[in-house]
Amino acid sequence: MLRMEYAGYRHSIYSPRLLQPWHTRPGPGVFSAELSLYEGTILGLVGPNGAGKTTLLRLLAGILPLQKGKICAGEEQEPISSQELRMKVGHMPEQVRWQGKKSVQQALLELGEMRHADQNHIEQLLKLVGLQSRMSSPLNELSQGMRQRLTLAAALLGSPRILLLDEPLNGLDPVASEAFVLLLRKLTQKGVSIVISSHRVDGLVGLIDRLALMHQGQILAEGTMDDVARDLGLKNKTEMRGKGQMPEFTKYSFKKEDVELRADNGSWHAVINKPQPELLIELLNDGHSLTEWKIRQPNVIEMLCAATGLSIEDVGLEVTSSATIPLRKFGGEEE
Amino acid sequence: MSDFSRIAKLAKRLAIERMFSMRMYIMLPILVLFIPGMAWGFSDPDIVLPGGHQPENAMEVLFYASLGVVFGATVCAVLLSYDSVSRERASGVLELRLSQPMPRSHQALSIALGAWKAILIPTWVLLLLSLVIVRYRMGEWISAVDFIVYFVSTALILLWYVLFTLMASSFTREQATSISFGIGMWFLFTFLWALVTTMVAFASGVAIGQENDASWIMLEGALDLLSPNGVYHHLLESRLPQIDRGIASWQSWGMALVWTVVPFWVFIRRMNRVIP
Repeated sequence: MLRMEYAGYRHSIYSPRLLQPWHTRPGPGVFSAELSLYEGTILGLVGPNGAGKTTLLRLLAGILPLQKGKICAGEEQEPISSQELRMKVGHMPEQVRWQGKKSVQQALLELGEMRHADQNHIEQLLKLVGLQSRMSSPLNELSQGMRQRLTLAAALLGSPRILLLDEPLNGLDPVASEAFVLLLRKLTQKGVSIVISSHRVDGLVGLIDRLALMHQGQILAEGTMDDVARDLGLKNKTEMRGKGQMPEFTKYSFKKEDVELRADNGSWHAVINKPQPELLIELLNDGHSLTEWKIRQPNVIEMLCAATGLSIEDVGLEVTSSATIPLRKFGGEEE
Repeated sequence: MSDFSRIAKLAKRLAIERMFSMRMYIMLPILVLFIPGMAWGFSDPDIVLPGGHQPENAMEVLFYASLGVVFGATVCAVLLSYDSVSRERASGVLELRLSQPMPRSHQALSIALGAWKAILIPTWVLLLLSLVIVRYRMGEWISAVDFIVYFVSTALILLWYVLFTLMASSFTREQATSISFGIGMWFLFTFLWALVTTMVAFASGVAIGQENDASWIMLEGALDLLSPNGVYHHLLESRLPQIDRGIASWQSWGMALVWTVVPFWVFIRRMNRVIP
């Protein structure tokens, strides 16, 4: 549907010099990003703060110009013009603070002028996002969740085939989040391709069809969850909870480093870094009391840690340096 | 829908939003006092201006009353348009706008036209009221050409101030910086330009402030071409044969064109590159 090839963009950072107070230097951004968007799928763009997710979305939305690489539509080799790109794409920026005395409907009509959207279409959109009862309300009176819905309605103006959502779940209550997810599912059934950028990975699991892991401006891995896990060498894990005495896992021929253990108030929790279906019978035969047992896929955070080579703490706390960042491409050579 | 009608429709929406904003309600009494108020004062049959001068005709009265535009309407233009881009940038709405397929240059045009119309329409209404006041007080209408020159010149000076402020608004991330630039520029051209003229005259060896000294008048006239207020007065003076400051009509209109095209070009260029 849309292909991004070797896309690059670096923000300019003011670096004043004595005789050149206006001097800038290239800062962080996106480096050689390759990404394909497919019809009717949801791609989760995941990375820590400052990973370049918003910049990547802005490139896809035609808001920022590409400094390197190209964006092509379908199988075409020629790059798509930014105006054509903006025609195809609906963009929902992070946290739009709608304000002023104008009504919800007027705000959308104003944006609708730029996309040939008529009043009827706008009323339908407001109904779709659950703001029909707030059509005449001034923007100043909207709650954060309503503002998010209005931003989504704005992104859906002109019925775009590609929808880019930057942290869309921020400010939404659980019910609104659920409704939002259902709405996204409906859109994918109509063939809309959706990209969701989020640092709240728990909200994405079960929603996304594909995953792209970003760190320091690079896409480290991309594909279905299974593909990414396989590429990263991550196996399914065995997770269990129990009561009473914690089992001695070394007895079951596990190395200490293969097992993560946690115990509190007479119960325990263990994660084994590989699928071990036969262990269940052994534990039960040895008289251990199990309350939960499952073999699960590696989660997104584990994938991100594996892709970056960093611990959870490091991924979470790292602040992107504006210095030159070494490019690391998963499964390929270093650049 | 053609591009032009889309730009016009969007500009109309932006203009209406600003024209009925709280700040316009606050500024309207100031405009009323400055524009028709000055027309009322200068059309007094017994008025004697400094130097014992008395206005001779309706156009001359309106020329003096144009001070209301210079002091009142221009600052209102700044106050109405200072946040046209910066507020939307800060709130994130600009990012939504820039992601629409409408070309950025068209968006820039509609923002400029919207902000301009928001101050132009009330000012023109008050100018019309001024014409009626002058007719009532002096029993005289201005000619059709005077009317066109007066209204077009006023429209132009307002456009220049709107464009300067929009440029500042598009460059700055903080609205306070944008308004500081707009007010600073208004202050420079409205109050400090005389100081600039004096300094240049001093540096050029011209006697300062000698009303009968041709070289001072010529220098002042030439330097006024570098100020929007000065160009505005030159345009109005082109309809007053009794005033001659050595600047031909085509020079005034030529500079008016420059003052219009250059800021428009800079603003559109800036909007083409702005990062939300």
